[in-house]
Amino acid sequence: MGDDLISELPQSIIETILTKLSIRDAVRTSILSSRWRYKWASLTHLVFDDRSVTQCNDGPLVEDKVANFITRFLFLHNGPIHKFSLSTSYLHSSPDVDQWLLFISRKDVKELVLELGEGEWFRAPSCVFDCKKLTRLELIRCELDPPPNFKGFFCLKQLSLQQVLIPPDDIECLISSCPLLESLTLSYFDSLELTVRAPNLKYLILEGEFKDLCLANAPLLVAISLAMYMTDDIAEHFEQSSTCNFDRFLGGVPNLERLTGHIYFTKYLSIGIERGRNAITYHHLKFIDLYQVSFDDLKEVLVVLQLIACSPNLQELQILGSSNTPAATGDPDTGYWEEIFLCNCTLDRLKTVKMSDVSGVPHEMKFIEYLLERSPGLETMSITPSVYNTEGRLNMLIDLVRFRRASPQASIVFIHEQV
Amino acid sequence: MTEADSEIIKPEMLKVYVWLQTSDGSIQQVEQEVAMYCPFICHEIHSGMGSSKNYPISLPSRVNPAMLSLILDYCRFHQVPGRSNKERKSFDEKFVRMDTKRLCELTSAADSLQLKPLVDLTSRALARVIEGKSPEEIREIFHLPDDLTEEEKLEPIKNTMDDPRIRLLNRLYARKRKELKERERLKNVETEEEHADDRSVDDLLSFINGGNEDSKGSRTSKNKKKNRKRKDHDKTAPLNCISTSSSNSSSNNAVNMNKKESNEPAVYGKLPPDLRNATKMLDIENDRFDPEDEFDDCDLDDDIDPALKEKIDREVEDFARRLNSDWPERMQEILSLGQDRRPLQLTINGNGSLRRFTSLDQRQK
Repeated sequence: MGDDLISELPQSIIETILTKLSIRDAVRTSILSSRWRYKWASLTHLVFDDRSVTQCNDGPLVEDKVANFITRFLFLHNGPIHKFSLSTSYLHSSPDVDQWLLFISRKDVKELVLELGEGEWFRAPSCVFDCKKLTRLELIRCELDPPPNFKGFFCLKQLSLQQVLIPPDDIECLISSCPLLESLTLSYFDSLELTVRAPNLKYLILEGEFKDLCLANAPLLVAISLAMYMTDDIAEHFEQSSTCNFDRFLGGVPNLERLTGHIYFTKYLSIGIERGRNAITYHHLKFIDLYQVSFDDLKEVLVVLQLIACSPNLQELQILGSSNTPAATGDPDTGYWEEIFLCNCTLDRLKTVKMSDVSGVPHEMKFIEYLLERSPGLETMSITPSVYNTEGRLNMLIDLVRFRRASPQASIVFIHEQV
Repeated sequence: MTEADSEIIKPEMLKVYVWLQTSDGSIQQVEQEVAMYCPFICHEIHSGMGSSKNYPISLPSRVNPAMLSLILDYCRFHQVPGRSNKERKSFDEKFVRMDTKRLCELTSAADSLQLKPLVDLTSRALARVIEGKSPEEIREIFHLPDDLTEEEKLEPIKNTMDDPRIRLLNRLYARKRKELKERERLKNVETEEEHADDRSVDDLLSFINGGNEDSKGSRTSKNKKKNRKRKDHDKTAPLNCISTSSSNSSSNNAVNMNKKESNEPAVYGKLPPDLRNATKMLDIENDRFDPEDEFDDCDLDDDIDPALKEKIDREVEDFARRLNSDWPERMQEILSLGQDRRPLQLTINGNGSLRRFTSLDQRQK
């Protein structure tokens, strides 16, 4: 019939279309017509993932096929490469991968993502450190060894290292030598003592066992997410420490807007905490999301209370409890709570509170009482009892009904699932 | 009355309109807030255009009225700030349900107006159209010409080389390509033939003077290019057919001289059918010697001293004259011989023929 509908479109659009296909489909377009023969070859965003592989059970055969495909692709490629993402469980550390990285490093690559299969961890070749134009680097399961003369990635904005073996000193150096770094993600680091010096850092995600965390110079941080694992060794180490972790970690981030803490986060922050400490105010903190807060431990409760007290503009609070003891064991420290109730702070902006895995322990109920009394703008409080607590639910409800509410429009939603 | 009227009119008057002119010349009036969603129009407005009908904003040629109306629908929906992501996504999904031709036009138009979100949306839709379809289907949808040769399609971009059929096909194509290349080369390499044949002139002359009996002796250096290889690789076939081949070369030569051309088709045309077939077989056999073909240029640089060269030239001239007179009888001989022999090893670049041809040619230039 008529004329060609699509080949006339500008190369940038063709590229957009081809990048939305799997890379295999993109290469297949080469046999469509003479004009399409090499349109795929000037793609600048290369994403090799398991979609490029035809499913097959023979491991080494598939590995060969994939390696072959990538090698030929790169050889026939023509033009700059801005993004190279290799994320496949079929490939393992091999000279091929090193050679591809060498090729890529000569092409002014800006985004590099590397995730290889299980097994021996891939050791990043030194050519990775020659990619001067990198703005995003994401490495999973590899060994990184920055050469001694490495000055840093001057354009790097996003750095994500997951299960990466890197000498501890080098990681701090790496972070501080990337002046434009805005987003940092470190996952599964063991026993790391980390001091973060990143003047432009905005987003921080940390996950692992940290012996010490200090945000020494990260004033622009906007969002933090910390999942703190704790082994016995580290717990012991903390017993002996005298520093206030709260200060060290959150002492220098006045612009924080969102805080998320997993696993032993509150426990970590509780170490070294004192009642009357001087805390900075987080004027912009709007969302607090805490998991595994143990309301048995008064110190952890104190952490939460201090956090809230320093966040006048808090809008949303989510807490997942992890109290193991059933309700009504031991005396609630009523004196302590009387003090708390005496102070004047109110949470004017707090609208939503979500408490999950509520066991009904005294401190927890007191906390809820406190929130209800101090949030004049509260709209919803939802409470999901812990599945382990079946008998105490009635008591919980009785208490909840009794609590005074500062907000006339507050509704308490008790989420009760019939098993 | 008037107060009520003005109250009704006011909201309308507050809306600012811009004028847009599409490729076909028609001018449209559009609410400014909607049109501003397109960066291109936004820039134009800031440089002062579009405020009145006389100074409309000229839209790029890729934007025709139908596309403009689609784009404005898109803008009208998305420029409203209060919409949720879900609403927008749902609108987008419905919006791109159109035939492929319009999708392509829309992508092009949106791109010229720099409306990136819409370009992304339509590109994704086009990618979905292409995904998973066979090449024939894709060609049909987009009206692409199927203008690649089968050979080009098979070229190993993907790792399809494991398939033995493809390997065989590739080999056949390689051979065919080689053939074509050889023929090309033969047309162009005549001067080289000259050098190659110089050394063999004595042999040739003696052969011709001596008749057909001398075949084996003279075989060695005749048809240097091809024969050399043949000597190395396949001793059996050529040896029996030298006389015929040389004679054939001379006949070819005669033909060539008459026509001043040595292109394949003409020669083929002139030769009787069985000879033509023989030539073909020769070429195929030659293909077996692929590696040698390329590197036979060592024949070219024979260091012949000029005196000898002159002598050779003169002798060749004699030969040519003689051939010219003998032509019809020679032809008869060749024909009778050809029928008896086994597959002939004919070469177009028979040592005597082309060489003679070129030298004569040179003289005539």
